[in-house]
Amino acid sequence: MDNVLTIRNLTKRFGRICAVNNLSLTVQRGQVFGMLGPNGSGKTTTLGMLMGVINPTAGDYLWLGEKPTHHVRKKIGAVLEHPIFYPYLTGRQNLELMAMIKQAPPGNIARVLDLVELTGREDDKYKTYSLGMKQRLAIASAMLGDPIILILDEPTNGLDPMGIAEIRTLIQRIAGDGKTIILASHLLDEVQKVCTHFAVLKKGNLIHQGPIDDVGKGSEVVELRADAADLDSILNNFAGLQYVNRQNGYLQVTMKDGFHSKDLNRFLFDHGVVASHLVTKKKNLEQQFLEILSARNESEKL
Amino acid sequence: MTLLHLLRIDLKKMTGYRTFWVVCGLYFLTLGLTSASGMEFLKWLARTFEDFGSKLNVDRIPLYHFPDIWLNLIWCSGLLKIVLGVMVVISVTNEYSYRTIRQNIIDGLSRGQFLASKILTNLLLSFLSLALITVIGLSTGLIYSPVITFDRIVTDTEFLPLYFLEVFFFLSYAMMLGFLINRAGLTIIVLLLSRVIEAVVTSNIDDYVPWLIKYFPMQSIWNMILWPAPRYAFQEIRDWVDPLSVAIVVGWTFVFNWVSYWKLKKADI
Repeated sequence: MDNVLTIRNLTKRFGRICAVNNLSLTVQRGQVFGMLGPNGSGKTTTLGMLMGVINPTAGDYLWLGEKPTHHVRKKIGAVLEHPIFYPYLTGRQNLELMAMIKQAPPGNIARVLDLVELTGREDDKYKTYSLGMKQRLAIASAMLGDPIILILDEPTNGLDPMGIAEIRTLIQRIAGDGKTIILASHLLDEVQKVCTHFAVLKKGNLIHQGPIDDVGKGSEVVELRADAADLDSILNNFAGLQYVNRQNGYLQVTMKDGFHSKDLNRFLFDHGVVASHLVTKKKNLEQQFLEILSARNESEKL
Repeated sequence: MTLLHLLRIDLKKMTGYRTFWVVCGLYFLTLGLTSASGMEFLKWLARTFEDFGSKLNVDRIPLYHFPDIWLNLIWCSGLLKIVLGVMVVISVTNEYSYRTIRQNIIDGLSRGQFLASKILTNLLLSFLSLALITVIGLSTGLIYSPVITFDRIVTDTEFLPLYFLEVFFFLSYAMMLGFLINRAGLTIIVLLLSRVIEAVVTSNIDDYVPWLIKYFPMQSIWNMILWPAPRYAFQEIRDWVDPLSVAIVVGWTFVFNWVSYWKLKKADI
């Protein structure tokens, strides 16, 4: 087994609040692992425990199959929440300090500055940087020690669309080098574009875990428009119907397993209805995510 | 990771920080100037006396004569340690307000190593203070002492290590407050008021448990290095080292550093 990270029953309570509840999961080498969840779902607390700054209430975790020590942390590049640097030091001085802590060769500094395209601004004080530059310096610092594992927590938080695209390209380039990346985010689009696997957290509970390729499998959704007064009642007789709802003037027909858009088309035609619009919708992570969350909500109510 | 490497990490943070240079510069400058200019003060005093028709024989007050100079210098310089203490508070609380302590640990320092880097800087600052006082003591003593013998020079130099201990004790205390309180302003206020608060407490228990007073942290410093001025009013002062008073200061120093470690170890950062 090539487990980079194994989490076993990790729990953190802050007083009465349970921030992370009995979390177990594994991340394997080479995965780009997305951690999804609404704000306050325990993502950052989990990462804080994994990086040794928050003491777990119960449970444990292994990095690279070893008990965690500060030696292991030197092999991990991590930025939690937002970039943290000494504001009165320059970008380069901050990286030099970090290289001393990580015991990384100072020769890496020029390379990581180049990677995030900060060369030219490295001798300005950190406090003069724009938000995008701060985020990029944070990624540079995470790459400084030639990490085997990269942990990024909301790396595109607060960036403009161009900045987001830049960071995304950067992550994809780093992932292309075969590094294991753990990416916490509430931007589902971002996770879908770069991740290979994902987990969903809610109120500290792990409610879903799997490969990103599974998204879009399962029941098919067909978007439909047709000029027929009693379309709803006709559809109710369709054997493949799971449920139907109305959105943007279209009917969203969710099919039962084994039924496809052509079955619906044939059914409508047989009943004398001709569709003016019939599109098979590929489900995206956002829908899947909302489905997972709402399914969870319902089971909680029961 | 060697201790030297840990010290260099903390110095790297400090040397890029202008406040550090300003405060330390002022400290060592004031330390040097005040301790070297006591004689000039006496001369000024004598001139003023003369203006009023009285005579003050400067040489009758052997402030800068071996061996008096050591205790005089050490006691007065000890008052300035508060400036370094404030610097240490800023150094620790900055790590909290910038949250860099969190990032340092994420990057691979252990909590113990983080603390060690701060303690090593405290040791370095204490040592620099000691070095400066030794140099000033030797040079001004050689200038002003009428009689210079080896015996006179080394008499009372046993107080020099105690001066080092005094400064390190106080910086440890400042560091501990920083780790416990985390906010610069509040920590500095507590640091400055410590002596006052303790004085209020001790004066209240004076009648009941007077033997306990020497165990109070700030008081323990005053008991270790006594105010030397009364000897110029024909009073005896203790010019030997009292082992119990030293043991109390060492004990507190240990407690302060240990509390910092305990707080750092158990807290979520």
